[in-house]
Amino acid sequence: MRKLSLVALGAATMLALAGCASGGSAASGSSTPEAGSIRVWLNGTDTPQAARDYLKTTFEKQNPGSTLTVEEQSWTGLVDKLTTSLSGSDSPDVVEVGNTQAAAFTSAGAFEDLTSKLQELGGSDLLPGFVAAGTYDGKFYAAPYYSGARLVFYKKDLLAASGLSVPTTLDQYVSNGVTLAAANPGVSGIYFPGQDWYNALPYIWENGGEIATDDNGTWKAGFESAGAIAGLKQVQQVMEKASVAPKDGNETDPQVPFCAGTVAQVSAPSWVKGSILAAADAKAPGCPDQTANLGVYALPGKNGGAAQVFAGGSNIAIAAKSAHPDLAYSALKIMLGTDYQTILGKTGLVPALKSLSSTLGTDDVAKATAEAAANAKLTPASPKWADVEAAGILQDFFVKIGQGGDVTALATDVDSKINAILNG
Amino acid sequence: MTTLLGSVSSRLRRPVGRKGLAPALLLVPATLILIAIIGWPLLQLVIVSFQQFGRAQVFGQAAPFVGFDNYTRVLGDPQFWQVLARSFLFCIVNVVVTMSLGTLVALLMTRLNKFFRTLVSVGLLLAWAMPALTAVIIWGWLFDTQFGVVNYLLSQVTGIDFTGHSWLIDPISFFAVAGVIITWQSVPFVAFTIYAGLTQVPDEVMEAAQLDGAGAVQRFRLIVFPYLKSIFLVVTILQVIWDLRVFTQIFALQGIGGIREQTSTLGVYIYQTSLGTGDYGAGGAIAVIMVIIMLAISIFYVRQTIKEEAL
Repeated sequence: MRKLSLVALGAATMLALAGCASGGSAASGSSTPEAGSIRVWLNGTDTPQAARDYLKTTFEKQNPGSTLTVEEQSWTGLVDKLTTSLSGSDSPDVVEVGNTQAAAFTSAGAFEDLTSKLQELGGSDLLPGFVAAGTYDGKFYAAPYYSGARLVFYKKDLLAASGLSVPTTLDQYVSNGVTLAAANPGVSGIYFPGQDWYNALPYIWENGGEIATDDNGTWKAGFESAGAIAGLKQVQQVMEKASVAPKDGNETDPQVPFCAGTVAQVSAPSWVKGSILAAADAKAPGCPDQTANLGVYALPGKNGGAAQVFAGGSNIAIAAKSAHPDLAYSALKIMLGTDYQTILGKTGLVPALKSLSSTLGTDDVAKATAEAAANAKLTPASPKWADVEAAGILQDFFVKIGQGGDVTALATDVDSKINAILNG
Repeated sequence: MTTLLGSVSSRLRRPVGRKGLAPALLLVPATLILIAIIGWPLLQLVIVSFQQFGRAQVFGQAAPFVGFDNYTRVLGDPQFWQVLARSFLFCIVNVVVTMSLGTLVALLMTRLNKFFRTLVSVGLLLAWAMPALTAVIIWGWLFDTQFGVVNYLLSQVTGIDFTGHSWLIDPISFFAVAGVIITWQSVPFVAFTIYAGLTQVPDEVMEAAQLDGAGAVQRFRLIVFPYLKSIFLVVTILQVIWDLRVFTQIFALQGIGGIREQTSTLGVYIYQTSLGTGDYGAGGAIAVIMVIIMLAISIFYVRQTIKEEAL
């Protein structure tokens, strides 16, 4: 047994050494990139299949002899995964990263410097908030990829049955949720799983709270401020009285309970519409029979209008350790091109180029997206913010809120944890 | 490698007075491999634990040495002690349950006929062969809050409505689920090893004891256990080591539900500190402390193995 495993170890070492030796050829800086194969990492199912196919065909046509492989990564644990893979010898070439996570990598030198390419990629036509998210120390590392807005999807028949209409204020939205949950036992008036901190942010912002503020270089977390506490109490009310979602569940795949009939309203990214209405024989089936019954609106603010919602979205960058940076740039250019971004726009993702915003169309999702995006807000602009996310501090915090914990005590506790990371 | 082997074989052809050197030389390749794949990373780990090492350092920036700073930070953090206590407690419960169940299954196998023994063996092998991550995901589905079969069956059987009951949100309940998954996968190893040992207990001795009027419990306590004492000891130590460094099951379950802060064990805590918060220095320090604990436990194992070989 021992001898056998020793032989196996020896063999594994040989393989590992052989693997190292063959990975050393880097691309030259010439104008026509040397042929090779590159890997593009996209996260979750956000990027539609049509866009992936277009990217692969176009890239391989423009770069004869080269191949491009799209590898889908999970949003969960992405920061950990990127840290290990981008620093290793087997780095992917092009990676998508959440806009709030980008700073962790731009500040660490994980991405290729794209400052000289900024104009070529779109310049001032690129979404400014996302250019800022991809810039560190005056250098541009990660280009905008797409932006998304969180919208409220609802079942028209359930709202009508309770005599409710689309709410115009946040308080009305919450009370509608409670009414719906009471009228339909086993159904969430507002589906709100405990780990879904993105959807908790509007309650805090609308009540005047902040996640954290920069006070002359020192970050000060703000969950214990009076405004934030009021928002947190509202979150707790929704989780306890309007939602039957798992108190410790996460926000992925909201179409499953929606199609199972246990959700009356859910706040989710705009592309979830596609997941809900996916064909019954799709890989991830939805419930296309709900097409006429599915309504959508932008989350209302405390005093009417659209609420300040979390501006989700992605940046896209070239790994500093990419073996074929020229080919990777060629792929990046396709992804920021008009045709590719139009495909994204038609799926309900806000394109990275402002000039293409009309591709969103004029349906109700597009209208709600435009409304929500106009008032969207970001997480604190600190390179350490991604660490707060990766440590799961906010997930734990909102699970405890959903459990019915003491809001003030929990807020004080989470503030000290966030301060420790942001200022550590 | 070839030159090394060549020199070894040429020495073996000249046995004159060189007997003492040959065994040592034969150990050289194995030692080199061990140094390369275990010693080198361990050395790196120790170095990192004395450095200020963040995400920027991962991507190539210089890492300044900070002495025992990481260690004092870790040892002064009450959360570290909570995690350590939790890990030990969880490990002890798991080892006790695994050893008891494993022994009972082994005893059962000695009584079964060939058909059922094969059936039990195949069942155990399947549980053992299942990759840990796959197992956790499937157990996670069984215990799912909204659509899990456990909640459904409990509602049907007891008449109490279990729909929407979260099994992972309460730490005790979380560890019960984790314990079920871990025990389910560790029992096969214990059962097979002890069953192998049980077949070596001489039948005559057992028969004689039975004739003298010893009951089943007495026979196990006074005859079987002393015969298999060394096996029990070694298996228990191995279980302690494996259960103390459990990672996959806890990490994957935390993704399904539960509160990370209340359910992290040592392995997961190291991962969260290093990769999650990007504090590789502190993570390295915790890992070094864990290595020391593991070494202390392993010494028992090594001593026991050497004693056996000397017999």
